[in-house]
Amino acid sequence: MNVGESVRTGFVEIWSHKTRSFLSFSSIAFGVAAILYTFANVNGMYIRRTKAFDIAGPGRLEIEKRESGGFSALVGLSKGLTTGDAEAMRAAMPWLYMLSPTLRASADLRDGDFRDRVQLEGVTLDWAKRGWVFTKRGRFFNSHDLANAARVCIVLEQGGWAGKKPFWARFWRDDNFAGHARRADMLGRTIQLDDGLYTVIGVLKNPPRDKDPRWFFRSGGLLILPLTTVQRYLARRGATDSLDGVDNIIVDTGSVETIPRARRRIEALLSGRHRGVADYEIKDFREMVQNMLENMRKYAVAVLAVGVVAVLAGGVGIMNVTLATIFSRIREIGVRRALGGTRADILVQFLTEAALLGVLGGIAGIGLGLSGIRYLSDDGAETVAALLWWHFPATLAISAGTALLFALYPAYQASRLDPVEALRYE
Amino acid sequence: MVEIDAVVKVYGDAGGYRALDGVSFTVPEGQFAAIMGPSGCGKSTLLNVLGLMDQPTSGSYKLDATAVQGLSDAERTHLRRDKLGFVFQSFNLLPRMTALQNVCLPMGYAGLSRKDRLERAHGLLARVGLKGKELRTPLELSGGERQRVGIARSLANRPRLLLADEPTGNLDSKTSVEIMALFRELHAEGMTLLLVTHDPGIAAQADRILRVKDGRIVADERPAAQPA
Ligand SMILES: Nc1ncnc2c1ncn2[C@@H]1O[C@H](COP(=O)(O)OP(=O)(O)O)[C@@H](O)[C@H]1O
Ligand SMILES: [Mg+2]
Repeated sequence: MNVGESVRTGFVEIWSHKTRSFLSFSSIAFGVAAILYTFANVNGMYIRRTKAFDIAGPGRLEIEKRESGGFSALVGLSKGLTTGDAEAMRAAMPWLYMLSPTLRASADLRDGDFRDRVQLEGVTLDWAKRGWVFTKRGRFFNSHDLANAARVCIVLEQGGWAGKKPFWARFWRDDNFAGHARRADMLGRTIQLDDGLYTVIGVLKNPPRDKDPRWFFRSGGLLILPLTTVQRYLARRGATDSLDGVDNIIVDTGSVETIPRARRRIEALLSGRHRGVADYEIKDFREMVQNMLENMRKYAVAVLAVGVVAVLAGGVGIMNVTLATIFSRIREIGVRRALGGTRADILVQFLTEAALLGVLGGIAGIGLGLSGIRYLSDDGAETVAALLWWHFPATLAISAGTALLFALYPAYQASRLDPVEALRYE
Repeated sequence: MVEIDAVVKVYGDAGGYRALDGVSFTVPEGQFAAIMGPSGCGKSTLLNVLGLMDQPTSGSYKLDATAVQGLSDAERTHLRRDKLGFVFQSFNLLPRMTALQNVCLPMGYAGLSRKDRLERAHGLLARVGLKGKELRTPLELSGGERQRVGIARSLANRPRLLLADEPTGNLDSKTSVEIMALFRELHAEGMTLLLVTHDPGIAAQADRILRVKDGRIVADERPAAQPA
């Protein structure tokens, strides 16, 4: 008997046992959806990692300020992380591509009638070398602004959404100031931060949120100012903090190969300057990303396990359906054998029916998975786009394969039935 | 066409029930033989052995000059498919398939193309008088019509031998007459026929009557009178 015939018979059988077929079909579908979701996320993860490395620069290190804690006797020995540290590093390693110290602060902002408390960041000229794609209006800071702690600032406008705003974002109110910055053109205006007046010399627009691969450093800074300005006028500092303190220094050595060398130099340098006080921490950007990816991978494995269990449950369902089907069709098997169907024909027929259920379940699962990814995960469209063409045949193969595997035993049983007994069966 | 010699069929282990107890006879090509006997005497068992559905415990069987002992299950199935046609008392049509699909079934196993199958099935259904009812399912057909489909199906692969186990057993007498007319027509065309029946009137239409009792042939006779 040819396969076309078995497929036709299979459809007739599936259709005439809708409920039974639907049950095993849906468990297969759920499993496939979960597996597809995993495929999408795992691949999306790798795409993002590549992008993240591209954007962050190949040789990125972060030196982060840390509360030294513990021995209060030692605290006085170190001034904490400072502009001085950054300058010393620059002097020791002129070859570093980027060395960008930042200091975070917050201030009360007034722009006409608008008031809000905003996050701001003090930066140096190297900040521009972070190389992210912004649209820029106005100008960036110059060395003059930095040297004189000029009262100028740049507004970072949020990118909004390139596509449709995902449903969850509707519950996530845009920050007051972010909305104001988008509505009002602030370029050239004078605004008030705490007690001082500052001129907006530039507006930088972030890329759309759903197109922005900087998923792990969505920082809160909405305004950037010269580092010296923040240090002088806006930083809240404790009694022991120095006047030129910074929160972190981001370094880009320019290439992956130079990271270990730069790291050793920086460790030696800072250890001397801080007199052994561990009030800073050097983070290898790659390590950070790797850790994050490691967590995501664990998550992916968990989802995959759920998918596999669901597909297996579907397989057991299919086994059950096939067994029940065979039981109700013993006489038919006898007739088919009498009419010239071999054991192999019977086997092929039941396997075809099971595989059909598997493929149909798989197709439904792909549909379910795609809509699930689109509406439930943060970056739906991007995650869907991360699917490769072979993920679809692969999921179908998994579902059809499982169905086949689980139908093997019942189908074998059917093919071994004695034809005379089968014909006699009522 | 059929040569069996000392065929024994024992159900269960040795010492079990001897359903066939040394049956020997020959049916030449083109003969119409009726098998008669009381219920439980082994008629169906005999037909199953002849139909290669069941293997005898001992004895020899030649079908169309082919010795069937020692053939594998698949080989016997292929012989059955290509040389034998079955007609059943309870029709044994697949209920979810149309008459046409039922008739196509054996041809599918024989590997005929879809086009050939449909063409031949239409021809066979027309021949048994079911033109226009090809797309009905068995539920939408009368008993007589069902048996006509059964006969059309048994002819699908152009068999050399038809085995019919009480083909009129579930039919009223008028319909039985119609079905028997069909069998006689086939016989007239040269088909070899082995037909199990309880009805002496039907047996009387055969060339020969084999009487079975307790798994043995007790009489092999010509019918007394051919019907008018
Ligand atoms: N699978 C079987 N196991 C045991 N006994 C059987 C089996 N099949 C048939 N028999 C017995 O063999 C005898 C002949 O059966 P059968 O050939 O069906 O008779 P009939 O002449 O009525 O068609 C019966 O007594 C029946 O009970
Ligand atoms: Mg019987």
